[in-house]
Amino acid sequence: MTAVPEPEVGPVAVEAPQSEVTVQVEDPAIESRGLTVSYGKKVAVREMSLRIPRRRVTAIIGPSGCGKSTYLRAINRMNDTIPSCRTQGELLVDGEDVYATGVDPVLLRRKVGLIFQKPNPFPKSIHENVAFGVKLHYFATKEETESVVRAALVQANLWDEVKDRLGDGALSLSGGQQQRLCIARALAVEPDVLLMDEPCSALDPIATAKIEDLIFELKKDMTIVIVTHNMQQAARVADYTAFMYLGRLVEFNRTRDLFEKPREALTENYITGRFG
Amino acid sequence: MTAQAAERKALAAGLKRLNENMVTLAELSEYAIRRAVDSFTRLDAKAADEVFTLDREIYALQLEIERDCGDLIALFAPVAGDLRTITTSLKVTTDFDRVGRYAKDIAEMTLQFHGMEGSPAEELPGLPEMVEKTVAMVDRAAGAYVKRDADSVRDLATVDDEVDELHDRTFSEIVARMASGALPVEAGARCILVVRYLERIADHAVNIAERVVYMVTGERLPRIRAAERAHTGTRAGKRP
Repeated sequence: MTAVPEPEVGPVAVEAPQSEVTVQVEDPAIESRGLTVSYGKKVAVREMSLRIPRRRVTAIIGPSGCGKSTYLRAINRMNDTIPSCRTQGELLVDGEDVYATGVDPVLLRRKVGLIFQKPNPFPKSIHENVAFGVKLHYFATKEETESVVRAALVQANLWDEVKDRLGDGALSLSGGQQQRLCIARALAVEPDVLLMDEPCSALDPIATAKIEDLIFELKKDMTIVIVTHNMQQAARVADYTAFMYLGRLVEFNRTRDLFEKPREALTENYITGRFG
Repeated sequence: MTAQAAERKALAAGLKRLNENMVTLAELSEYAIRRAVDSFTRLDAKAADEVFTLDREIYALQLEIERDCGDLIALFAPVAGDLRTITTSLKVTTDFDRVGRYAKDIAEMTLQFHGMEGSPAEELPGLPEMVEKTVAMVDRAAGAYVKRDADSVRDLATVDDEVDELHDRTFSEIVARMASGALPVEAGARCILVVRYLERIADHAVNIAERVVYMVTGERLPRIRAAERAHTGTRAGKRP
């Protein structure tokens, strides 16, 4: 068997400091231990160790290309679809290594939903979009499916806007409604974790406020990890924030502390707009 | 230039202007105390008038700083050190304004003694030391703000304890002189107010120092009572 060559480090301008854990997270929903993700020879995430608190919102911030989306996508194995991508280290969801042999990524993604930057509803009806996952994962009766669809749309704060036109095409909805539909689609299969990759970057301020409102509601029942470029959004919605730079975790702390008195000069320079 | 870089440049320019105004505010407040004490010890009405002008300038500058801070927060949503600088400046302007008001009160006292032969201050041996210590405290607090030097003012509360002791001693002197008839009751009462104003100015210097520590380090200093400090030997500004 040929030994796998060590991946080379990508272009490094400044060496980011090693992460220092400042908050103790007992019983994390997600935990990575020395997680390294590379695309071919380029290392996108480097030895990332992080414990993500349960039923809290954790924001991941950092400049473009710092590896935050790669890290997020590693949590529900969405990087598996990229042929050159290789993942090393451990990533535990509820204590189970999601990269262990025998783990079914489809079942993992039922437990860990992902919302993308641009709303990506299926070109089907509103109803079919939400029912899709239910039909895939469960043998549900028509009545049960109806009930789940309604509950998911209510939970996603979309029900009142679409209840009279569930048969209409999902693409007829506005961008903000489409994004909430995607959230409803994820919620329909009752995930424990919701990953959000810049979920508001394509939305206007009102649609953004609705999604942020929804995040506040959802965190009562599930763990949310949100990647965002918008620092104010991280400060508004997240209980905890992780700052990544050049593929490494630089600082992880309670959001208030990170934005009020960051420990690392690099974090301060980034969040105050001195680079990025 | 990217939008982010342009925004950073505008914020940096706003913070620079804020800093310049804060330095001026500190200088005006300090000068106001010195002139107020001059006016009182020499019964100099001209110096008192100067203090009234300074007080108005201090107030106008305080308003300008408040407006600038509001604009910076609204326009740039600053965080971390930038936000601490702005919130600290907002709080500290009130302290400097109060210092200016006390200087004005002392100057007004001067006018009450107008026509007397000598200032009652001459009869109070503890007063010059109290004035020097108080002005030095404001000077240190303002200097720490300008230099962003938290360590230089962590012990300012212990200097305030000394000012408090001087206040108590001077108060006793005034009361004794009033009781013996050496100092008329009205003049004595006004002297008590003057030393009280000085003691309050020293308290404001401590407030400024505490805020500077927060601005520079993000650390909020606990309030420790003087008696507790004396009892435990805790250095001011350090957690016990």
